[in-house]
Amino acid sequence: MSTVLEVENISKYYQLGMTGSGSIKKDLQRWWTVNVLGRKEPFFNDPASADLPKPKNDILWALKDVSFEVKQGEVLGIVGSNGSGKSTLLKILSRIVRPSSGMVRGTGKINSLLEIGTGFNADLTGRENIFMSGYFLGMNKQEVQQRFDAIVDFSGVERFIDTPVKRYSTGMYMRLAFSVAAHLEPDILIVDEVLAVGDTEFQTKCLTKMKEASHVHGRTILFVSHDAQAVANLCTTALWLQQGEIHEMGATNRVVGNYLSSFRKGEHSQTWDKNNPTPGNEYVTINRIEIAAFGESPDHIITVHDPIQVDIDLSCWCEGFDLEVCLSLHTEDGVCVFDMGSPNSKAEIKEFRYTMLIPGNLLNDNCYTLSLVILKNNTQSIFEFPECATFEVQDLREGMTYFGQWNGIIRPQVKVEFAAKEVYKQITLT
Amino acid sequence: MEEDRTASWDWRITAHTSWWSLNWRELWSYHHLLTGLVRREFILYYKQTFLGPIWMLLQPTLTLLVYVSIFGKLVGIPTGTVPPALFYLAGIVLWNFFSEGFVGTSKIFQDNIHIFSKVYFPRIILPLSVLAVHALRFLIQLSFLLLLILCFWIFGELPYTFNTYTLFVPVIVVLVGALGLAFGLCFSLLTAKYRDLNNLVPTGIRLFMFLTPVIYPIAGTPEKFRWMVLWNPLTPLFEAFKFSLLEEGTFTILQLIYSGTLAVLLLFLALISFNKQGDKLIDIV
Repeated sequence: MSTVLEVENISKYYQLGMTGSGSIKKDLQRWWTVNVLGRKEPFFNDPASADLPKPKNDILWALKDVSFEVKQGEVLGIVGSNGSGKSTLLKILSRIVRPSSGMVRGTGKINSLLEIGTGFNADLTGRENIFMSGYFLGMNKQEVQQRFDAIVDFSGVERFIDTPVKRYSTGMYMRLAFSVAAHLEPDILIVDEVLAVGDTEFQTKCLTKMKEASHVHGRTILFVSHDAQAVANLCTTALWLQQGEIHEMGATNRVVGNYLSSFRKGEHSQTWDKNNPTPGNEYVTINRIEIAAFGESPDHIITVHDPIQVDIDLSCWCEGFDLEVCLSLHTEDGVCVFDMGSPNSKAEIKEFRYTMLIPGNLLNDNCYTLSLVILKNNTQSIFEFPECATFEVQDLREGMTYFGQWNGIIRPQVKVEFAAKEVYKQITLT
Repeated sequence: MEEDRTASWDWRITAHTSWWSLNWRELWSYHHLLTGLVRREFILYYKQTFLGPIWMLLQPTLTLLVYVSIFGKLVGIPTGTVPPALFYLAGIVLWNFFSEGFVGTSKIFQDNIHIFSKVYFPRIILPLSVLAVHALRFLIQLSFLLLLILCFWIFGELPYTFNTYTLFVPVIVVLVGALGLAFGLCFSLLTAKYRDLNNLVPTGIRLFMFLTPVIYPIAGTPEKFRWMVLWNPLTPLFEAFKFSLLEEGTFTILQLIYSGTLAVLLLFLALISFNKQGDKLIDIV
């Protein structure tokens, strides 16, 4: 596969506060000093040149030395929190703003979709807007005409095509606007956050269309989204931007996993010590609760496929009876998934460790809450700790064609066969 | 090998903006956008109006009535041998073309920032579309003017006035358009950066109108103040326009050459500045 896009040391900075220097007088003065007298810039030190003293805090580096390559047919997902430079990067690639330094090179036609409905005018009819929007996105008349029926069909607004779009519902407007963009046929397509609007069905449709574009037509796509799942599903490679710099780039699962985990720090692991009042009573105290994907650190995300290990360290302060630890798992809505006891253990003044392993491919993509009860002699509750821990199970949806949320509290892997009867005979459920 | 690699890129984006890099092929590939924008402007202009396209003629007619009554009847500005209505209309029609083209292009960045910040296309397309809209409007108003001249001929109130200069009307119109576009582009760059100028543009253009022989003949200006009107590159163009249609106007070939050279030069400077600065302004507007 050949490289179709190469980004080389791209940086972009903005001066904080006033844009430009704010007044004609200063600008004229600057022009006079720099261009006529040939002296240095009087008001602004160019941060790109190394020999000048670095200005203090008035420069915002939206992007700093970003370099990467994109191969033909690759779908690159760009993730990062707000202000990490994602949009600036896309704007540079779309030729809307210039980088402050560095170079971007590419081959083929590049189209960007930074907003849904660019070039739409509320007073024009759907038909007129399809043409105008198409022209703005770089299509010519013949191209729009060829695709007109497909666009209208995809949007599902045939009946209203000659009505001004200001009378459309928001959903219809979005669908029509996306349809135009979806029928662009560039070699490189840049898509920013456009999926944040519209309902699930619409999002699914968009994602399917983009998948088709990359898989069937071999187009290269650069895709920015806050929805890490959408990125994981659609993209082959991911780029994680943090404060204008590339934090990590590589296989989608790893990068997106790490990106999601970065928000999880500390949430899945709780430790108590002397400074931190330990939950408990005269019988038992809890020292530590830790939930992690099996074999991973608690910082790592838990996917639907991972077995989940729950560790609880507790101290027992009494003796002479049987101890049982019961954990119950609830969904966010408070539905009990299961309530599980432990084997009995003789109570002693000692530290105990409890471990539970929830098999992988059991829980669905959801938030779950653990509640803890400790029983004396299997009947009498001596300590209750409701909602002692919360964790989220993520679904990265690698290589799936369905983008919506799966229904149900659990999502086990169930063996299913479905075929024509003659064929079916040859299949056996094992 | 390295050379092959660099040659294989179709395009590149760098920090550097250039004065010259006007990509004609790319510009042509967007010509449907230009026609689309012009069409859209016309559609939008008459959407939800009762009189529709009649407004295009009604608007200069109303201005004409005001001018005839105020300047013709009240102030009594002499219009030579030509009936005041024709004289004023000729001025108004050409002036509208210049001033609307100028004001329209000068607001290009502020009016279209939502588009500029979201999609790439050669930025010059938008000012060109504004100018094209006003050029078409001008043509319609010009035919109205010609019709009126014809009426005056038929009813004998005006002798036949066409002359060899009539052939050069298209050149005059193109030069007026070029000046409008040139001033408009320069102001679009300036107003984007210095919003203060927004307040100056409407007042400035009105003032400029009085420095241009729109509603008065240059022959009627006092000698003392004539220099104020003569430096204006529009002056010979307006005089020549009126002379070619109504045989009433004072200008020399030298003056026309001055206007022509200035128009071409200013347009060239405006285009390259727009090319060079346009990209940077997106960060500022």
